[in-house]
Amino acid sequence: MQLKMFVLSGAAVALWLVPLTALDKRIGWHKSMQGVTLCAAIACAVSAGNLAREQAELGEIELIKKRAITADVVDEISTSAYISQQQRQQEAELILTSPSVDVEESRKVLEAIYSSDLQDSASPNEHPDYPIYLEVCKSREAGKSTTWIVENILKMGGRKFSDGKVKLQTLLNQFEEEGK
Amino acid sequence: MRAMYLANYFFAGCIASSFLGWVASLHPTSFRAIAFLAAAAFVIWGLCWLLDYSVSSLLKISVSSLQAFLLAGLAAIAIGAGVFLCS
Repeated sequence: MQLKMFVLSGAAVALWLVPLTALDKRIGWHKSMQGVTLCAAIACAVSAGNLAREQAELGEIELIKKRAITADVVDEISTSAYISQQQRQQEAELILTSPSVDVEESRKVLEAIYSSDLQDSASPNEHPDYPIYLEVCKSREAGKSTTWIVENILKMGGRKFSDGKVKLQTLLNQFEEEGK
Repeated sequence: MRAMYLANYFFAGCIASSFLGWVASLHPTSFRAIAFLAAAAFVIWGLCWLLDYSVSSLLKISVSSLQAFLLAGLAAIAIGAGVFLCS
């Protein structure tokens, strides 16, 4: 389209200047040719002008489209950011308002705090059997049977089972008395 | 692209002015007609230049645009007539 416009512009200028300078006004057909070429030159210049105007209008429309698309994208990004921020805020509020949602996690956190407190206080946890006692407590909380505890935590299955049972009782007595 | 289309219309004005000169050179009657047309155009041009604020509000364009249009038209007529007379 641009090539056509440039060709038409060049043709208009050529058809305007060349016949006026090259042809003789005193010769009849030369004069007629000048008139015809001037008409053609006007037609070419007006056509080229119309094409250029269309191109300019299309360019302006494209520019407006680009601006609108950019504004839409910016708006969408800011909206999604706002929504995600709101979601995060709501989640945080939910967590804060209902602490019993994740009991297991809270229990673990509390347990970790409790065990670190115990380590800091340098009391019964210095005892070498204390970690075993903690594991026994966890297992009892989880509802494990005495046999399971003796076999899996104290590792005293089979022939040593009766010794294990005694050791378990001793452990429980020892640390529960210290806890009191 | 906007400059291109303004330039093309300017060239169209120049060529039209040359064409009117060519029409004027055909016969004394056409010369008189074109001379009358040129005089009328000149009077209208002068009135538009003097009454630029009124004309610009009438045409709903800015005063500077009207002045640019008038000057471009005058330049196109001058160039077209000059090219025809010098050839």
